[in-house]
Amino acid sequence: MNYNNNYKLPSVFRRLISIWYRHFRVYSSSFFSNAFPPFLEPLIFLAGLGIGVGGFIQNMGAVNYALFLASGLIVTSSMYTASFECTYGTFIRLEFDYVYDGMLGAPISPTDLIMGEIFFVGTKGFFFSFAVLIVVWIVGIITYPLSVLATLVGFLTGVMFGTLSMFVTSFVRNINHFNFYFTGLLTPMFFFSGVVFPLENLPKGLAYAAEIIPLTHVVRMSRALCIPGRFSPYLLLDMAYCVLFVAAAGYFAVKGLRKRMIV
Amino acid sequence: MGDIVIDIRNLNKSYNGFKAVDSLDFQVEKAECFGLLGPNGAGKTTTMKIIYGKSEHDENRDTVVNVFGHDPKRESLTIKAFSGVVPQQDNLDTELNVIDNLRIYSKFYGITSREAKKRIDELLLFMELQEKAKSNVRGLSGGMQRRLTIARALLNRPKLLILDEPTTGLDPQVRHLIWNKIRELKEMGVTILLTTHYMEEAFQICDRILIMDKGKKILVGNPRELLSKNLERYVMEVYGVSGDNGVCLERFNEGEIRCEFFMDTMFAFGDDSGKLSKLGEALKKDYYVRRSNLEDLFLKVTGRSLNELQ
Repeated sequence: MNYNNNYKLPSVFRRLISIWYRHFRVYSSSFFSNAFPPFLEPLIFLAGLGIGVGGFIQNMGAVNYALFLASGLIVTSSMYTASFECTYGTFIRLEFDYVYDGMLGAPISPTDLIMGEIFFVGTKGFFFSFAVLIVVWIVGIITYPLSVLATLVGFLTGVMFGTLSMFVTSFVRNINHFNFYFTGLLTPMFFFSGVVFPLENLPKGLAYAAEIIPLTHVVRMSRALCIPGRFSPYLLLDMAYCVLFVAAAGYFAVKGLRKRMIV
Repeated sequence: MGDIVIDIRNLNKSYNGFKAVDSLDFQVEKAECFGLLGPNGAGKTTTMKIIYGKSEHDENRDTVVNVFGHDPKRESLTIKAFSGVVPQQDNLDTELNVIDNLRIYSKFYGITSREAKKRIDELLLFMELQEKAKSNVRGLSGGMQRRLTIARALLNRPKLLILDEPTTGLDPQVRHLIWNKIRELKEMGVTILLTTHYMEEAFQICDRILIMDKGKKILVGNPRELLSKNLERYVMEVYGVSGDNGVCLERFNEGEIRCEFFMDTMFAFGDDSGKLSKLGEALKKDYYVRRSNLEDLFLKVTGRSLNELQ
């Protein structure tokens, strides 16, 4: 072995890729238990809500109810996986498994670590929304060719909720407190963002409130890609919202988590 | 002194008003093994973390933290690119096998896949893990996990190796193996900074040690020299003696025997083992005379009783 040679610090891009690779390898190491549920979940949802509720309600507005629901589930599956990964997963890596302690011994900064992880949950969100799409394509609920692009909205959703969850994790000291986040924030978000029913029917106040929450915007984008004739310039506003949201939540997530990593 | 590669002057670190490191000064030379010793809570780990930027020291006008010419507060990535870090707790990816654990870290250092493959083979051989290459980490013994963590820290062929309690909780065979490897690395020119609770370990592998307590420096130097300078050559332990200094002083008040009492044990120190034995006979108790060691020195300078952090 030859020691004392030149040491090169990898570029930021390579550092982010290496963190992505770490998470990817660990995630795919239990391939079956990780890859199977994403396909099963939309089936259960569609069976329960689509066949059950759909038996009573054929159409939601002018749209078939199963199609309406499926185009929303594409992003909620991404929301949930990103949120679990960056709350419980991140907390365990931070506090119980000392994974970050190891990584921070290598030439990686807390910012790299957080950004790399968010990049990974984006990918995970992409995969989860792709799984939903495959199921609904096979079942024949979604036929619009542009729907393949909804996976990109899945990626964006993963990034957005990964960042938000990292921010939440940055100030949570007890792992049980994540219950408040899931029950108090994500569950109402699921119901009041236009996934299961359109927002137009809501009272004015609630409809405005729905515009504040992040899920509403990605649901609208996903629907525009899954149902023909839904494109509008307002989608650019949704996109701008997402970008600003990620930037703001990301800033505070890095600030808070760095304090817990570098003591 | 040779080339100084780590220069620490007036280092301070407080956590919410608690002073973990207090005006610490020390220098580490190139290719030496430098050991930080001290009771739990003495500030050893904090000092190590400051050196690779995992912890940030307090701002003081005359504080110097220089690691191979770099300041960890601003250039921790540069420092970590040429260092290997073995933290106190193993933090391997238990879902993966041995090779994959190393492969993942090789990417953190920006090592190409081809080069990584070569180095991983080399390191598995070096740490005697080649038969475990494909084994899942969860199934490895504590000693193997520790060796793997050390191998991981060597992926970038570091010029500085930081080991926080490398052999705590390991059996003697593994401990000796690790000592040997540390000596080999030193021969190759690697500078090694380690913390340990094992005095034997410090004595065996460290060129110089720093004994610290409550964040402060107490003694620094070569372990053998420290021992001969600060402690008598022999010690006698006598059990079942009440803390009565009179017993010792009355009969052997010639300045050649020094006694310490702890709970119901008496420790008599002297350079002449014959005289110690005579004292033991006179006491009519079970006694045991042995060479004094680093642990005796450690206890002498840091105190025998527990403090609030232990």
